[in-house]
Amino acid sequence: MKLLEYEAKEVFGNAGIPTPKSRLISSPEDVTEALRDTGTDVVLKAQVDVGGRGKAGGILKADAGDAVNVAKALFSSEIKGLPVKLVLLEERLSIEKEYYLSIAIDRSAKCPVILFAEAGGVDIESAAAGDPGAVRRECVSPLLPEIPRFQLRDLTGSAPVGVKAIINTLYRVFGEKDALLAEINPLVVTTGGEIYAADAKLIIDDNALGRQGITVNRDLTPREQKAGELGFSYVELEGSIGVIGNGAGLTMSTLDLIEYYGGKAANFLDVGGGADRDRVREAVRLVAGMPEVRVIVVNLLGGITRCDEVARGILEAGVPHTVILRLAGTNEEEGRAILAQKGYRMLDSMDAVIRAAVEESK
Amino acid sequence: MIYGGKDARMIVQGATGKQGMFHLNLMNDYARQVGGSGVVAGVTPGKGGREVSGVPVYDTVKEAVEEHDARVSVLFVPSFAAGDSIMEAAHAGCELVVAITEHIPVHDVMKATGYASLKGCQVVGPNSPGLLSPGEVKMGIMPAHLSLRGNVGVISRSGTLTYEVMDELTKAGIGQSTIVGIGGDPVVGQTFVDVLREFESDPLTKAVVVIGEVGGNLEEEGVISTDLPVVAYIAGSSAPPEKRMGHAGAIIEGGEGDAKSKIMRIKKTGVPVASRPSEIPSLVRDLL
Repeated sequence: MKLLEYEAKEVFGNAGIPTPKSRLISSPEDVTEALRDTGTDVVLKAQVDVGGRGKAGGILKADAGDAVNVAKALFSSEIKGLPVKLVLLEERLSIEKEYYLSIAIDRSAKCPVILFAEAGGVDIESAAAGDPGAVRRECVSPLLPEIPRFQLRDLTGSAPVGVKAIINTLYRVFGEKDALLAEINPLVVTTGGEIYAADAKLIIDDNALGRQGITVNRDLTPREQKAGELGFSYVELEGSIGVIGNGAGLTMSTLDLIEYYGGKAANFLDVGGGADRDRVREAVRLVAGMPEVRVIVVNLLGGITRCDEVARGILEAGVPHTVILRLAGTNEEEGRAILAQKGYRMLDSMDAVIRAAVEESK
Repeated sequence: MIYGGKDARMIVQGATGKQGMFHLNLMNDYARQVGGSGVVAGVTPGKGGREVSGVPVYDTVKEAVEEHDARVSVLFVPSFAAGDSIMEAAHAGCELVVAITEHIPVHDVMKATGYASLKGCQVVGPNSPGLLSPGEVKMGIMPAHLSLRGNVGVISRSGTLTYEVMDELTKAGIGQSTIVGIGGDPVVGQTFVDVLREFESDPLTKAVVVIGEVGGNLEEEGVISTDLPVVAYIAGSSAPPEKRMGHAGAIIEGGEGDAKSKIMRIKKTGVPVASRPSEIPSLVRDLL
């Protein structure tokens, strides 16, 4: 789950990484009061979860004279389609130098990887593309309690000593918070020689939300949230063919085949292991609840899936949609008979069932 | 075959749980069918002294492996304890841990696989259906009745999609040497590179099917690393960016790991890429 900038800054700040003076506001009326904390030269930053927020107009400079009006403009705007509900009003730093710092996971090395660059700021990706040496990277053994000093040296080069301390702290936060990404871009050195995290990004591992005390994953839509509670992996898309599969790979492949045959999938739904009557019923109802869905494909394959149970779950769901199935498992004949009585089509191969669904959707 | 055959003596960690019990029995059914050693002991802390279908259960991996001379553990432990259980198995002398458990926090996986590797223990998974060498041994939950013994290796990040491919190969009369599910998480123990290296030293395996998906670039690394004839298939060409498609590892992040660029990079090495699973058998036949 992605944290918003102000939440990430709170986490970083609590760990001892300096952040600019700031106030979170939810209306332009809060501006005057907030300026007393931050000083009058400020930046207003929309708290929305999008990349390229600055270029999209989500970060605006202001001073005492125009801060209220700037806030009004920001609160009434949309940043890449998202409404602005919260704004972080922050002291404007006098910047001497900007660095790029991030910690992510290197799948190949199976380690946290620290990236550090002398040229921080908005265009780090293109800077890295133009000069591959510009971004230094070090993988740190997950078995060590902290970053070895030699690696810290290799990363930071001639950067001020305070930068090393911040990297150490960020690395500790990365582990303690079960992060997939912890990023400070830019890490700013002011003309006064102070160092600040001017922006902050933190993504928490969805598999660790429980032990991090997070109960609701905000990245999910309400229907995705409900699906999660039922034990399904579910993603909403934009087509008209509802999809229910078992296993992430098979379900993904089902979506690909829909595209291959010229159709558009409405969703990804993996019912998980042990697709029984109740789970299938709930899955069908969930998918049928999306207004765009015109036909539903059920693609279940597994040694232990009981096709008669699946068939009963489909009947129990009682949805008006056309449901086309491919079932492979035990009691196939019984399942086929149950469904055939009610006029459902059960086909033998993945290609056949998806071709049929694509035709039906047109 | 790779990662052991009929004589592999296995333990099951999490043997008294619902999944553990169920699959312990299926693994032993398969062992009886092919005349293999099967699961010789189970482990659940606090449940030592019990039996699961005649298989003795111990409190610790150490006791189980010492009493029964086992070197392989198949792991069904709940996610919050699974990282620790992998390390326990490696510490007790297991040479192979097959981790079926899903939803293990990735920081736990990095530590556990790192520790296991120090101990010389290979980890398959987590979030894996395990592995199956038809006619030899089943370590995990793959449906053995879909398989056929032969000389094509299969490596996959997925479960049911692997069964789909097994089924397609078997129906086409193409047998499999070993089918390995390396797991759907962003960090896994044995990667495509590792498994391909094992296949290279396996006299039975003549070609390999690599079944990948969006996220990361381990498929490309694998394909580049090997001299074996390979056919690839990548799931997720219709997956939108930044959305996790079921598997924790199946996500296109920062413009990286999308199916189209993966497929392009693999094709560049001369490896044929199937556009759908049903195309795989004919592409494999062209290689044999």
